Amino acid sequence: MEKLHNTGQLPLLAPVRRQSPVARLPGCSRTSLPPPQVQPQARRQQALWYALYFPQLHPKPDGLSESQQQALLRELAAVVENVSSLISIHPQALVFEIRSSLKYFGGADLLHRHLKPLLEKKLTDLNLAPTFHYAACPTAVGSLLLAKAGRNLLVYRKDNLRAALGGLPLSLLSDVLITSRKQYRRLSNMGLRQLRDIWRLPTDGLKKRFGSEFVNRLNQSIGKTPEPMARYRPLPAFNACFDLSCAVETLDSLLPVAEELLTRLCDFLKKRDLCSSHLLLVLEHEQQNDTLVNLSLRQATRSRQHIMLLLETRFTRMEIPAPVSAVRLEVMRFDAFVPADDDLLRENHNRGTLSPSLTTFLEQLQARMGDRHIKSIHCIADHCPEYASDQPDCPDPGTLENASRHNIGSSAGKGVGKRAVTTDNKLTVNNPRPFWLLARPQQLAVKKGRLYYRRRITLLRGPERIEARWWSGCDVRRDYYIAVDDCGIRLWIYHEKTAQGAWFLHGLFA
Amino acid sequence: MKTATSSSTASTISGNSASVEELLQSSPELWRGCHPEARDRDGFRGVTTGYPELDAVLPGHGWPRNAMMEIITPYWGMGELQLLLPLMRSVTGQGKWILWISPPYLLYAPALVKAGIDTRQILVMQMETSCRDALWSMEKALQTENCGLVLAWQNWLPHRVIRRLQLAAEGGQTLGVLFHHHESKDSPSALRLSLNACRNSIGKVDYRHSEIQIRKSRGTYNLRTYGQRTVRITLNGGENSAGK
Repeated sequence: MEKLHNTGQLPLLAPVRRQSPVARLPGCSRTSLPPPQVQPQARRQQALWYALYFPQLHPKPDGLSESQQQALLRELAAVVENVSSLISIHPQALVFEIRSSLKYFGGADLLHRHLKPLLEKKLTDLNLAPTFHYAACPTAVGSLLLAKAGRNLLVYRKDNLRAALGGLPLSLLSDVLITSRKQYRRLSNMGLRQLRDIWRLPTDGLKKRFGSEFVNRLNQSIGKTPEPMARYRPLPAFNACFDLSCAVETLDSLLPVAEELLTRLCDFLKKRDLCSSHLLLVLEHEQQNDTLVNLSLRQATRSRQHIMLLLETRFTRMEIPAPVSAVRLEVMRFDAFVPADDDLLRENHNRGTLSPSLTTFLEQLQARMGDRHIKSIHCIADHCPEYASDQPDCPDPGTLENASRHNIGSSAGKGVGKRAVTTDNKLTVNNPRPFWLLARPQQLAVKKGRLYYRRRITLLRGPERIEARWWSGCDVRRDYYIAVDDCGIRLWIYHEKTAQGAWFLHGLFA
Repeated sequence: MKTATSSSTASTISGNSASVEELLQSSPELWRGCHPEARDRDGFRGVTTGYPELDAVLPGHGWPRNAMMEIITPYWGMGELQLLLPLMRSVTGQGKWILWISPPYLLYAPALVKAGIDTRQILVMQMETSCRDALWSMEKALQTENCGLVLAWQNWLPHRVIRRLQLAAEGGQTLGVLFHHHESKDSPSALRLSLNACRNSIGKVDYRHSEIQIRKSRGTYNLRTYGQRTVRITLNGGENSAGK
C-alpha cells in the first residue's frame, strides 16, 4: 500500500490503521473487516456523505425514463428527509449528508437502522424491489462509488478513503467518474483495471489525455477539491392553523383571523417566489364536520387584498352551521410567480386578453353568485336559428387567453360538443337577424286575416325559407318575415309550414 | 374652479396675457362657457354616436365617456340596441369588454357578429339574476378598467342607486347604460334620452325613423344653439348589414 502511494503523484496518505476507520455497516458485506467503531471525536468537523444506490431504477432502454426516475427519486428523497437536510439526487442514487445528524441518532448504525425500514416501506409502496446498496464516506463522489460497488462500507476519515476506493474496478466508474464510453475504452486499453491504477499515473498526463474535468472528478472523490452539487428542494407546502380562544358564531368576526392567516401565506409565497391559484380555508367546528371554503382563482396571485376581497364576498353569501373553533388555511396548488409585465408600448393592447382587473371582477362575480351566472356568447354554424347562438359558461382564464392569443379558431374542441364553433365571426347566412331571440317562440293571434301580437302587425319583408333539422326528428320548416307592429317595434316572425300553419314571434330587432 | 379664476386674475394684473391663456388651457376643471374650443377639448369630447344628427345635439359631440346614461323606451325592442351599435363596435374595437346585465331576452350572437361586434369580448349575465346582484355587479363592472360598456335592464331604480352607479362610472372610466320603461324626473345620470317611434302626419308609424328626445344632458349650456332637443334618426333595423 505504501509503495503504491509513493509511486503516485498524488499526495501521500497516512497508512490505514488496523483497528478501524474502515468500518462495516450492518448488512451484507464481503470484506471481513472488524466491527464498526465510531470515532469519538473527529479532528475537524467534515461532512459525511451517505449514498443510497438503487439498482432497480435502471435507466432505459428496458427501464425507466429519466423523468420517471427523477420522480421516484424525489419520493425517496422525501423519506430521506427524515435523517438529513442536505440531499442531492444523482442518477439511480441519492446522496445526503449525515454528519450533522449523527449525534441525534446516536451513530451511523442507528441512523441506518432508522432509515432502512422507512425506505423499504416506500420502495414497496412504489412497487419496486425493497433493496438498495449504501455506503458512507467523507466525499459524495466517493460514497456514490462505494454504494455502486455494493460494498456497504462506512469510511469515517478522509485519510482512509484511498484505501477503500482503490480497489474499485473501472467498470463501476461509469456515470460517476467516466462520462463517455470512449473514455472508458481508452482507459481499459491503457491496461487500467482499478481506480488505484489511475492514481498511479501523473496528473498532467491524465489532464492532457482525459481533460481536466476527469481529473477534477478524481480529486473530488478523495476530497481534494470541493464538490458542488445540486441540492434537492422539497415541494413547498403551506398549512397554517389558528385556534380561536372562544368559538366564533359570525363569519364577519372571522375576517381578522383569516387576514392574519393570509398575511402569513403571502409572506411565505413571497419568500419562495411563488403564488397560488387554489386555496382551501377550513372552518373547524366543535362537533360537526368542517366547513370548507374553496377559493379557486382565475389567475394565480399572492396579493392579500385580492384574496381577502374574494373571501369577504364569499362570506357575505355563506352561513355556518355551528360556531367555529379553529380556522385552517391550506394551499392546494402552487404556481410560479409571473410578475405583471409593464409593457413599454402599453397602448398597443392585446385584444381580448384579460387584464388583471377584469379577472378580479369575474372572480368576485363567481365568488358571489357561483359559476353559472355569467356567460360568454358565440355563434354556431347551424341554419336553425335557435341553435345558431350559444351561451356557454364563462370559460376559464386559460382558455379565454388562449382563445384570444390563437385568434380563436383552435378553441373548437373546448367542450361545446361536436358542433363546429364559428367564433371566427363567420356567418352561415347574410340575412338580417334580430338581437333578441325569444327563448320559446310565441304564437301570434290571427284575427280577420291580420296578425296580432299585443298590437297589430304589418309584414315588411320576407319570406326567408329555413328548412333544417329534418334528420333529428324535430323538423324545422319555416318562412321567416320581418314585420313591424303599431308601436314601431320590428319583429322577426315565422309561418310554420305544417298542417296548422301557425304564426310565431321569434325575435325582436331591438 | 374658484382657485383657478383667482389665480388667473392675478396673472392678468401682472400683465402677462399669454400665461393666462396657458392657465386656462391647462386646467381641465375650468368651464369656458360658449368658447368653441371648450367643446372640443379632450376631456369633454364624447364618443361619437355614429349618428351625425344626434352628435350635433349632444354636448361633447357624442356619448359621454365615463358616466351613466339612461335610455327610456315604452317597450323593449324600439331600436335601443341599434342606437348603441356604433358605440359597441368602437368599444370592442378598442379591445374592451361589454357586459350585458340581465337582458330581457336571449342575446342572439349571429346578429352581433353581423353588426361587426366581436362576440369574444361580450359577457352576459343571465336574466334570472336578482336585482341586488345585478346592481352589485354593475357597480363592480363600472369600476373595472377593462369594461368599456355596461348595459343593464332594470326598471324602477331609486335615485340614490343611480347616483352610486354614476359615481362608480366616473371613477372607472366606463360608460354605463340603463334601459328603462319609466322616466324618473330628477335622476342623477349624466344623460337621459327617450326613444320613440316616429309618427307621420296621419298618425301612422314611420318605422324607418326613430325619434330621440333628450330629456337631460349634463353639460348643455346654450339652449338657443342647441335648443332643438328632439332628433329624428334613421335606424337600420338590421336590414342593411350594419357591419359593413
